[in-house]
Amino acid sequence: MDRAFRALIERTFGDDLTGPVRQRHDETEMRIRPGDVPQVMRTLHDDPRLRFEYLGDLAGVDTGTDFQVVYHLWSVVTPDWLRVVADGIPRDQPRIPSITFLWKGAEWMEREAYDMFGLVFEGNRDLRRIYLPDEFVSFPLRKDFHLPDDASRSPGGGVRPMEDAATPADAAATTVRRTARAR
Amino acid sequence: MTTPTRPSLDDPSLTIPLDHAGIFEPIPLARTERQQEFYALRDGEMLLNMGPQHPSTHGVLRVVLKISGEQVVDLDPVLGYLHRGVEKIAENSDFHHIISQLDPLEYVASLFCEWSPVMSFEKLLDVQVPRRAEYIRVLTGELNRIASHMLFLGWYALDLGGITPILWSFAERDEIVEMLAAITGAKLLFNYFRIGGVNGDLNHEFMSRLGDWMSRAGAQLEAGMGLLNENEIFVRRARGLGVLDRETALRMCATGPNLRASGVPFDIRRAHPYSVYPELEFEIPTRREGDSLARYLLRMDEVRQSLRIIDQCLHQMPDGPVMARLPRLLRPRPGRAYSAVEGPRGQYSCYAISDGTDQPFRLRIHDPSFLHLQLVGLLMPGNLIADTMAIMASLDPVMGGVDK
Repeated sequence: MDRAFRALIERTFGDDLTGPVRQRHDETEMRIRPGDVPQVMRTLHDDPRLRFEYLGDLAGVDTGTDFQVVYHLWSVVTPDWLRVVADGIPRDQPRIPSITFLWKGAEWMEREAYDMFGLVFEGNRDLRRIYLPDEFVSFPLRKDFHLPDDASRSPGGGVRPMEDAATPADAAATTVRRTARAR
Repeated sequence: MTTPTRPSLDDPSLTIPLDHAGIFEPIPLARTERQQEFYALRDGEMLLNMGPQHPSTHGVLRVVLKISGEQVVDLDPVLGYLHRGVEKIAENSDFHHIISQLDPLEYVASLFCEWSPVMSFEKLLDVQVPRRAEYIRVLTGELNRIASHMLFLGWYALDLGGITPILWSFAERDEIVEMLAAITGAKLLFNYFRIGGVNGDLNHEFMSRLGDWMSRAGAQLEAGMGLLNENEIFVRRARGLGVLDRETALRMCATGPNLRASGVPFDIRRAHPYSVYPELEFEIPTRREGDSLARYLLRMDEVRQSLRIIDQCLHQMPDGPVMARLPRLLRPRPGRAYSAVEGPRGQYSCYAISDGTDQPFRLRIHDPSFLHLQLVGLLMPGNLIADTMAIMASLDPVMGGVDK
């Protein structure tokens, strides 16, 4: 844990932070609003004290109540991984600015997050499904998408025929429906 | 009863719209900006499908090439033929069960895609892995890296039309996977790492095979590389092909050898040390050219460094247990953990969220092949169709990891 780095993040992004900067093992975590992503990322990338040039990962997360987009960044100035969590993306309006203007390589990772969660990245020029066929209608990594053996629990009385499996509706549900917020 | 009328060629509903010509399936109507640009064909351009069943795509990949004569103008990779939804599977299985599900992601070097999730679960559980287990992980991992790079050597030459190198490199690769089979029981999908250690200690067969091989590995590997390193046909073909500069490599999130061949000395084993790598001496080979030849030569340099690491592991390996004491049923406290390892293709990383149950709440798997395949779209335009294979193979993507 790099305490000095934590202080630096708190100093640089005082008002943008929506929660405390947390540290565990070799990770430092900061939470921001989804609308602030471009500005925060630009500062992280360009500021000579931060120099986060390397994007390690971009992940969508469904917390059961809303969505998050989680970025992992690496820089020479700290031995920690920096995790930036864009928190509280509403389920009915899952929109977040794209970061392809900084990392063009995030384009496919954002396409994947769109494919799996339905997150709309504004500014991504190629936001379409990447793994699943274009006709697919639902977003499989959402917590309200149940695996076929759990189709009887799915809202709306089952999933669409294409995603459905030949499982009887009265089959025992083996998956636990998890909507608890992972904090 | 009326006789059905024969379809007429004049019937407008039966003719193919002009901008669909040349494609075998209708284009979806809702197009993105990029699709509109891609499917707008100028004079003399046509679309050509490569794959999904094509030997040079290294798996089941379909690429729609936009070509003008023999030149590739643009291309659009179509993924998903191997998609299993492993992240969803992981959310619905026990922490222990996940490891075997992850193996097929990176079927060429499957120890690495086990490594990063196992590491992140250990972070969630605050487990201290025994030192001997860490050394065994590094030892087997580096062996697997050599095996993977040897496969790259063979395939790359094969894609460029040379048959001999794959016969040589497969001999090396086979010795290594036989060794690993002696401790893991499998030659391809090892399923060897466990949360808190490894599955079983090194045994006599492994050690005798390894000792045998190490005594001649250096010379043999050099002989295999020598088939290509100074081969004029190969060098002239690969030099200056698919040049990736430093800034673009970082912007495109390239990792591993492809990034280092462009002059960025970024290797997670040094940049963000894990396991026992801080105790081992090795160099991070870097090249500046960023072309296909540099990417090839860089992997061969890495093989030499891996041999050094294996040698040190054998000398420094401590005695002791290979598994931490853990309960059968793991319920990590709610939290998040991220871990990354440097594999033969680049950064394998994993972001795990636990909500206190015996299954992860979310498991994000990040695979370097996915991002390197994206690079293909950037490096290819302007090259000949025959060079698509040369460039794609030099980036070394594995479709199991791309499609997850």
